[in-house]
Amino acid sequence: MPESDKNHYCLDKLIGFVGNDPDAIKNMVNLFLSTTPDLLQSINSGFHEGKAENLAKAAHTLKPTLDVFGVEDTYDLIRSIEQKAKRSELDAELGKHIEQLNTTMELVFQELKLAYLET
Amino acid sequence: MDAFRIFIVEDDVFYGEMLRHHLALNPDNEVHLYKTGEECLKNLYRSPAMVSLDYSLPDMSGLDVMRQIKKEHPEIPVIIVSGQEDISTAVTLLREGAYDYFVKDDDVKDRLWNVLKKIRENVQLRSEISYLKEEIGRKYEFRNVIKGNSPSIKQIFGLIEKSIKTNISVSITGETGTGKELVAKAIHYNSKRAKKPFVAINVSAVPRDLIESEMFGHEKGAFTGAITRKIGKFEQASGGTIFLDEIAEMDLNMQAKLLRVIQERELTRVGGNELIKIDARLIVATNRNLADEVQKGNFREDLYYRLLGLPIELPPLRYRGNDIILLAKYFVDEFCKENKMKKLSITESAQQKLMGYHFPGNVRELRAIIELAAVLTDLDQIDESHISFNSADAAGNLLMEESSLEEYTRKIIRYYLQKYNNNVLLVAKKLEIGKSTIYRMIKEKQI
Repeated sequence: MPESDKNHYCLDKLIGFVGNDPDAIKNMVNLFLSTTPDLLQSINSGFHEGKAENLAKAAHTLKPTLDVFGVEDTYDLIRSIEQKAKRSELDAELGKHIEQLNTTMELVFQELKLAYLET
Repeated sequence: MDAFRIFIVEDDVFYGEMLRHHLALNPDNEVHLYKTGEECLKNLYRSPAMVSLDYSLPDMSGLDVMRQIKKEHPEIPVIIVSGQEDISTAVTLLREGAYDYFVKDDDVKDRLWNVLKKIRENVQLRSEISYLKEEIGRKYEFRNVIKGNSPSIKQIFGLIEKSIKTNISVSITGETGTGKELVAKAIHYNSKRAKKPFVAINVSAVPRDLIESEMFGHEKGAFTGAITRKIGKFEQASGGTIFLDEIAEMDLNMQAKLLRVIQERELTRVGGNELIKIDARLIVATNRNLADEVQKGNFREDLYYRLLGLPIELPPLRYRGNDIILLAKYFVDEFCKENKMKKLSITESAQQKLMGYHFPGNVRELRAIIELAAVLTDLDQIDESHISFNSADAAGNLLMEESSLEEYTRKIIRYYLQKYNNNVLLVAKKLEIGKSTIYRMIKEKQI
């Protein structure tokens, strides 16, 4: 198992879904790495362009994926981003939340790539 | 068993793929993944056993997709698997017919398996029910149910064929044991209503005070002992057929209520206010002559005409000629098969004896006589000694053999002397004839 204690993700839930099959896990990680950046991009552009509806939709879609990947400290964060966007509260606090999400996700992407794509 | 086909409708590529992979872990599942509502609807012809539907789709809402599925295929269970954590959304979807509603959280995996298990069991049960219904249909194919080649029974076949093409009410008359309920079932199971219930109620077997509740149901607390709501036979027969046997035994008060229900096509449960539409075909039966009952004032004339519909009068067995032998052979074969006995034949003399009997209990009585004979014989055949008639209808038996009036008189006096231990005085009194007439007949060895 390439996961380590330092990682910002936890694949227990994913393994629960797809079974302890290395190929299946690798496929799902690949899918995560190819689809999640677009959703993050939509969240960021939605915020900067004032498109609250797009932002809320992308956050809503990303929410269960983050849960499945056990991404650290994002359970409340992504819900807060979705709710604020639904209320069209595109304020500084939301900006901070999104920044925090970007930072965490950048780390998760690096860790996953290292563990699953470069082996 | 066929593959268990599951549709996943999910626009989130990652989550959709993960669900697909998860459900495909069971090799019995055939999983199809669609990203839009339209794609799902276009593929409904594949008859999925279940649809897992995301609430937020790019082209239409999950609610609209579900409504369309329910409209076209109300039997397909739809599970909503959504990121929507709003309770009112869940309540709306469940009210609209969703089988279950899951939020995409920790429990999805286990809940999905549990719900799949339940649906799979339901699918199996539905398939068993469907098979059994077809079996019943085959069993009640009317030429399997009613055996006979006589002209009178062929005429009945013709009437049954006419009755199964429409929803016309049918009134079946005939002596006891002629097969009135069998004919009613044959009509139902060969009609367009065959897949819906056939509900029978024997009017004379239900206590007078309970008949209304039995037929129309009652609300909780309608009367002492009504501890829960009860659905009546008319409601149970919705879409199918209700068979009211021994309708002539219904009291006049209940007849008035039945007439109203038949005319209005709606009923109110005892103790209730709600008007409930009914859609049940009506078949009634009686061994009495309903027209006579109307004349005597025992049966409402308006109800009589409502119920008459297509009248089918079943002939007594004694008027069906060679059908007696045909049925006897059928019953003996059936009995031997059921009891794993070797095949039995019926001798010529036994057949003669059967043909000479008047069968007041009709086909039911013939069956009992044949089954007893099959048990009594130690041979591979039934002869006349194994055929015993237990009919209490002595007059009917007496008239079966054609005789002169004098011979009938002698037989009657013989029968009474036997019955009253040769007490001539008593017999003379019972028959209202002179005792000297009896003494004379004894002296002349006429009896």
